[in-house]
Amino acid sequence: MYAMQSTELIRQFLHERLGVDPQQVVSDARLADLGVDSLMLAELMFEAEDRLGISIDSSVTAPRTVGDMVSLIESLQAAKAARS
Amino acid sequence: MTRRRVAITGLGIVSPYGDGVDAFFAHLLAGRSAVRYLQTDDKPRPLAMPFVSCSEFDPNVTLGKPLAGMMERFAHLGVSAAFDAWQDAGLARQAADPAEREQWACIWGTALGGILAFEKGYRDMWQNGRERLSPLSVVLGMNNAVNAHLSIQLGLGGVSMSHTVACASSTVAIGEAFRRVRDGEAPVAITGGSDATQAYGVAKAWEAMRLIAPGNSETAFKACRPFAANRAGLVLGEGGAAMVLEDWDHAVARGARIHAEIVGYGTSCDRSHLVRPEADGQARALRAVLADADLAPEDIGYVNAHGTATVEGDPVEIAALRQVFGGHAPGLAVSATKSMHGHLLGAAGAIEALATVLALREGAIPPTAHLHGNLDPACEGVDHVFEGREGVPLKAALSNSFAFGGSNAVLAFRAAPAP
Repeated sequence: MYAMQSTELIRQFLHERLGVDPQQVVSDARLADLGVDSLMLAELMFEAEDRLGISIDSSVTAPRTVGDMVSLIESLQAAKAARS
Repeated sequence: MTRRRVAITGLGIVSPYGDGVDAFFAHLLAGRSAVRYLQTDDKPRPLAMPFVSCSEFDPNVTLGKPLAGMMERFAHLGVSAAFDAWQDAGLARQAADPAEREQWACIWGTALGGILAFEKGYRDMWQNGRERLSPLSVVLGMNNAVNAHLSIQLGLGGVSMSHTVACASSTVAIGEAFRRVRDGEAPVAITGGSDATQAYGVAKAWEAMRLIAPGNSETAFKACRPFAANRAGLVLGEGGAAMVLEDWDHAVARGARIHAEIVGYGTSCDRSHLVRPEADGQARALRAVLADADLAPEDIGYVNAHGTATVEGDPVEIAALRQVFGGHAPGLAVSATKSMHGHLLGAAGAIEALATVLALREGAIPPTAHLHGNLDPACEGVDHVFEGREGVPLKAALSNSFAFGGSNAVLAFRAAPAP
């Protein structure tokens, strides 16, 4: 139920910050291929935390694809919903 | 070591007047002040003071959003000015052969660096209740951000460094870049300075020292009055200025336009007081630059003064000039362009070096605004420029920067031979 919201967030972020065409932001697209380096990945995670009220632990494995990032956000949103 | 001649082949600016280098100089020559009254919406206490803003500058337009998003304002101002200078020098953004730029250098000056990144962090955490800062805060805030971005964007493989020497920062940066080109280490160097002086804490700190000139929306434009009997302090300004320094033979071989030649760099320290300037210390820097440039006092036709319009500083600078220039002092044209573009702190030396180079190139001397009929007798003894002068053949000129901490730095420029 959160996939649309998280994919849209990633699309907006990558378009805004890196000028990435939103149509390229599909599930199996590699973040590195879209121009996301380690610095920009940290910023993307920060944005997701800020906008969605989740907390991404610093020990999580860095997502490689857009789909990985969506899954990470979704699982944290689900965990947050279960707690509330 | 064989000394190389050093040409200035590119000039660039982010100017408060909103246009490029030539328009900037035309405004100075006409004596037009860019000072306006600034009133922010900061709560509970806004900034309210005369100030110089680059209000028309949009970094997303000049740099593109992705690159601009990786920088704070001092880097927006600096990188944009440097790109402007690079283009003016006729150099491509990307080298055809990257190996060609292996030794090319970037040396930048800034006093405040990315202070706005940290100021935003404090606001976010203390005022807005956020728990964490953007992970980009460190790279936005680091003082070497401008030279780092420039070296990456232009593929410069030589030294990439920044200098922070208060109000002499970019004079030192240009001087150090000059030495590296003159010594043959770097055939080309991009250099200059930038500062975003509207940092809240910084502006308030200057205000606390009682050094900011008062003014309101009607009087702000004439708030900064260097050498005037009724001078009342400095006006902070933001901006960026850059120049491309190039091995003379390298420049000639590629048919580059040479704006002027940079011929000397002199430094000294007053070694006496944190903020009270000393004529003797400044005079040592002036003598050092003349010796370095192999110029006689009589060769110098114009000095762009440090001239901040503080009660204490201005007469000391004139005393130093009288000491060094002796019998030539009464004929030595002196002006303080800070009266119009404000005090850019770490970028002051760069914007004033630019004005000095343009004075040589154009044979024209910008004035000290608001000084006519108002000269402080304590600042007499040189040829103060009350109105812009044109058609003045100049052989050589100096640009002074005398910083808190007693750090003095002076650059010498010589007019380029007619092509």
